[in-house]
Amino acid sequence: MKTTFEEKDGNYVMHFEGRLDTAASVQTEQEMKVLHNCEGHDIILDCAQLEYISSSGLRLFLALLKVAKSKGSKISISGMNDNLRQVFAMTGFTHLFEFV
Amino acid sequence: MILQSPHTAELLDAWRLQLPLLKQLEEQASDLLQKAVREQNIQLNTFEHRMKSEESLTGKLEKKGYKYNTIYDITDLVGIRVVTYYTDDVDKVAVIVKQIFDIDWKNSVDKRKHQLDSFGYLSLHYICYLKEGPLRSIPFEVQMRTALQHVWSAIEHDIGYKGAVKLPPEFVRQFSRLAGMLEMADDEFSRLRTTMSEYRRQVQTLVKSGHFSEVSLSTDSFRQYLELKPFDRLNQRIAAVNQAEIFPAPMMHFLTVFENFRFKNLGDVQQFIDENSDDAYQLALSQLAVTDLDILSETIGIQNLCLVYVIKQGGGIFGVKSVFDAINGERDSNAILAENALHQAQMLPFMHKL
Repeated sequence: MKTTFEEKDGNYVMHFEGRLDTAASVQTEQEMKVLHNCEGHDIILDCAQLEYISSSGLRLFLALLKVAKSKGSKISISGMNDNLRQVFAMTGFTHLFEFV
Repeated sequence: MILQSPHTAELLDAWRLQLPLLKQLEEQASDLLQKAVREQNIQLNTFEHRMKSEESLTGKLEKKGYKYNTIYDITDLVGIRVVTYYTDDVDKVAVIVKQIFDIDWKNSVDKRKHQLDSFGYLSLHYICYLKEGPLRSIPFEVQMRTALQHVWSAIEHDIGYKGAVKLPPEFVRQFSRLAGMLEMADDEFSRLRTTMSEYRRQVQTLVKSGHFSEVSLSTDSFRQYLELKPFDRLNQRIAAVNQAEIFPAPMMHFLTVFENFRFKNLGDVQQFIDENSDDAYQLALSQLAVTDLDILSETIGIQNLCLVYVIKQGGGIFGVKSVFDAINGERDSNAILAENALHQAQMLPFMHKL
């Protein structure tokens, strides 16, 4: 699992690549902390190269959502494949994020 | 340069010396009032405070400086303006002001009682003093009015109704008609708020007593209904599949889905839950049992209920997609989610009973 962070057009963008499973979630959680200082920036989670997401991965996204909300930032998820989107749908989380 | 009278110059000098005290007074008085209003949960349109500017004070002294012996004979060197949404709230704020400050009744005006030909100036002006502390001998003014009165006052000022030029009677009449209309609007807004509060109380009572079919489906009633946690049982049943944690999530947006289903009252919603819970559980089970997903949104139950309902009604892919559109916002990818849900449902017992 690999993540890359960049600031683009005023947004905080994190690119995810590989499988976000329980094993990868501890390291990914650390790497996502940079997104927690998001005052004044919207967040884009680029999931075009993300192959799998587990409950641990969902929890990371939901924790980030909580932080971003409290700071007035919006989160959108881009490029997510249909299988992963199905995970969000079957757990009922689709409406919490903006998918682009 | 305009020459100032010696009296004006003397008062202005005295005022300049008092500026630090006046600034302190402005802060203390406004903080006290704002805190007290907030504690009473009164929603305000505006809360503002200011110190009189030198320009404005000079103008006032030049015009009627003879009326003032000392600088503290001028009672609006510090001013606070409270603009409420409703007329009732002007009265409430006035009670608060009376409680937390001493009022100089001789100089305070309830223009609502005196001004018969205007509307914007229908405000309450109290001349106040702090009840204690070293600043308690300095007066300040608190103005209280509604948002409509405030707007009227600004327009009146902009048009110059109170200016030097005497208006022809037809314009005065037009002003009076508008003033009357706004006063009525102010009263009606207050009345509407009272009526709506009463309606909310009735809905609350009916919902709590379980008389669902007597309660029309609306934002208010649905919110009250959700407080009863009507989807919790189904959620817990679904969560048990993977011993999942339920993550809190808003559900109000499902009201749109229910309106699309043409549900008229909460009885329809309750019946919808009673008749579809088993099938909604089966649908969720068929999706989740083959995963190890152990975190679910609080909307999991209501979402599956909606999907099952629309499938049973023969809504097909278009109907299922429209549910996802209402939940997630309209987007093409909802068609894929709809297709998957429909595919999953094909294998379930309720589909074979149809």
